Amino acid sequence: MKFTNLMKKKGEKLEPYEFLVTPEFNQQYLFAVEDFHPRYWDEKYGQPIVHPSLLLNQSNATRSPGFCLPPGVAAIHTQDETQFINPGKVGKRFKVTWEIVEEYDKRGRHYQVIDTVVVDEDGTEILRRRAHVTYFQGKGGE
Amino acid sequence: MAIITRDTKIGEEFHGKIKIPSEPRVYAFSGGSFLEPGWPKKNIHTSLEFAKECGLETRAISGTQTMGYIVELMIDLFGEGWLSGGKMNIKFIKPVDVGTKLIAKAVVKSKEKLNDKVRFILDIWCERDDGTKVAVGTAEYQI
Repeated sequence: MKFTNLMKKKGEKLEPYEFLVTPEFNQQYLFAVEDFHPRYWDEKYGQPIVHPSLLLNQSNATRSPGFCLPPGVAAIHTQDETQFINPGKVGKRFKVTWEIVEEYDKRGRHYQVIDTVVVDEDGTEILRRRAHVTYFQGKGGE
Repeated sequence: MAIITRDTKIGEEFHGKIKIPSEPRVYAFSGGSFLEPGWPKKNIHTSLEFAKECGLETRAISGTQTMGYIVELMIDLFGEGWLSGGKMNIKFIKPVDVGTKLIAKAVVKSKEKLNDKVRFILDIWCERDDGTKVAVGTAEYQI
């Protein structure tokens, strides 16, 4: 069976994902991207802001508890259209929802276009993304 | 404080800071929360063996890590307001190996007066220290 037969299709939604951003979790990403601006950790600047790279990484479709690929298959991010709507605040919970809005084939590869919305626990929209993802299959995935 | 103002001219170019996505930083970015059992989680970014099993030649860093470098530059240029109205469209055109020196760059492509605001369109990209572009796109913001 082709692995694409196991995947969600256009018009389907992935299972939502929720996560809490603690100061420590945020600082993990500050270390990762070498961006230590105090807006992200120092309360003298107000309630610290979640580093946008954390929100981007945590809203990749691979985070969905329902996202599953067979062994030997990987999802590769090829393009991203992102709208930043509001800053996320440290200490809040966030919810990510995804919907597959398009599928296409290009140069022998299958692509999916996935719309993503991130909201915080108050329902405030934080960001919207439209990510293009393709899939690589190694011998382990045959 | 924002660097781009209404007086910034078309063609002006800006650079971010040099970044090195070293092994520990890639683990921190792509390995899941430090609190997760078995951290770092094995995936195409953290494990060469895992990447090869998936048919990849190398374990490239996550595209969202590259996006993070570009977003930092956007916030430097436009201020925190970027997080309330900034837009960007990025294509990932080359894989980035762990430990590669990277720098985000931007050049003002156009500016347009819209009532009481000015809309800036920037060409944005992230390049290796040999000048090879790894991600390219555009960014838009109104000031």
